[in-house]
Amino acid sequence: MIFKFANPNKFLRISKFLFPYFNVFFLISFVYGLYLSFFNSPPDYLQGETVRIMYIHVPCAWFSLMLYSSIAICGFFSLVFRHTLADIAIRAIAPLGACFTIATLITGSIWGKPTWGTWWVWDARLTSELVLLFLYVGIISLSNAFESKSKGDKYAAMLSLVGIINLPIIKWSVDWWNTLHQPASISKFSSPSIDTVMLIPLFVMTLSFLFLSLNIIIIRIKSEILQRKIDILNSSKIN
Amino acid sequence: MNTLTLIKREIKLSIRNFGLILSYSSFFLLSLLIFTFGVGPDLKQLNTVYIPIIWVIMLFAIILVSDNFLLSDFQDGSLRELQFLGYSEESIIISKTVVMYLVLITPHFFLIPIFSIFYNMNFNDLFQLSLDIFIGMPSLILISLIASLLTIQIKRNKVLQFIIIMPFYVPIIVFTTSNYDGILYSSFELNKILILIGFFLITLPITLLLGKLILNEINK
Repeated sequence: MIFKFANPNKFLRISKFLFPYFNVFFLISFVYGLYLSFFNSPPDYLQGETVRIMYIHVPCAWFSLMLYSSIAICGFFSLVFRHTLADIAIRAIAPLGACFTIATLITGSIWGKPTWGTWWVWDARLTSELVLLFLYVGIISLSNAFESKSKGDKYAAMLSLVGIINLPIIKWSVDWWNTLHQPASISKFSSPSIDTVMLIPLFVMTLSFLFLSLNIIIIRIKSEILQRKIDILNSSKIN
Repeated sequence: MNTLTLIKREIKLSIRNFGLILSYSSFFLLSLLIFTFGVGPDLKQLNTVYIPIIWVIMLFAIILVSDNFLLSDFQDGSLRELQFLGYSEESIIISKTVVMYLVLITPHFFLIPIFSIFYNMNFNDLFQLSLDIFIGMPSLILISLIASLLTIQIKRNKVLQFIIIMPFYVPIIVFTTSNYDGILYSSFELNKILILIGFFLITLPITLLLGKLILNEINK
């Protein structure tokens, strides 16, 4: 099933069809999410209005982790099944993941100043997020360090697979090290400690980030596929 | 048996290249000295930062030296030849790790106690540090070998090796220096040792598998 759709040409066709829908979904969910976040959710009893940064910060943090997981999955497919589209996807997703990580760190700092009284603390989760950024930087640099793109792709895939070990450390770091950062408020295994009035805008914003990510990934994969086609044409011209 | 032959070969090569071991130890001691000048002569202060400094220096030294253990073999074709002769990729990596440990780390079990006197370390801390190095270093060596393999074909950007490797060092550094409050701070040091052993048990199979893949990719 995956291989059927993972063909580059088929991907281009499917993405061409899906892209406008994703755009519309993104716009609707983003506008609605912002409205809910700013006008339809209450300020926190302790943090006041500053809590609203959560609606950007938390989805960014989720996506920084999620995109890394997807890179690792692509890495697995690239190494085991030697699928070109998986290589291209790693190149496409890594800079986006890095951007989400930077956004998480910046919004976290802005949130931290009024809440904790400081822009930055060497707290476990903050540090892990910073480490994640370096993992992204490593993958991006490694994939671009070789003259041969395929070699860079292979090495980046390997690095992403090893880096996945770091993800559980980030996830459970709050439990391991009892530090400033609040424990996870929304968990799959227990009822969330966040009120529904705040939970709904958060999920709408997450949805909008999902469509935004999909859009950007589609654009980046598309341009990478086209770039590779141009490279092949150029090399055949030289030969 | 194969691995033992490789270990013997690596030891012979290391003894011939004794300058490298000397440079490694000199780098270690000089860096320690520079840190001391940076922190100041206050023994109390030096005593608190001594362990993290040791780990940071060891980390940098290992990254710098691991390249030498692989690069010459790669450049003169020995790496390819060893594979051609039938030595498995895993045994190549294991032999390099064992020899790096024996040749580079073992001297530190003598050097660190001597230097610890200058930093007013008590016996218990020194014993703990030595134990941490004994258990933690194999993981660090394995990771640095993999980073060297990943960047062995890159001539322009050697800093990349540091960028790749740093995230993987963080958990080990955190647990060996116990800078964070919480579970480690309140409990007996045995937890720390068990976690370090756990890291090693995770690192070993992953690095062996990855090393095999990279070595195959290099020799393509």
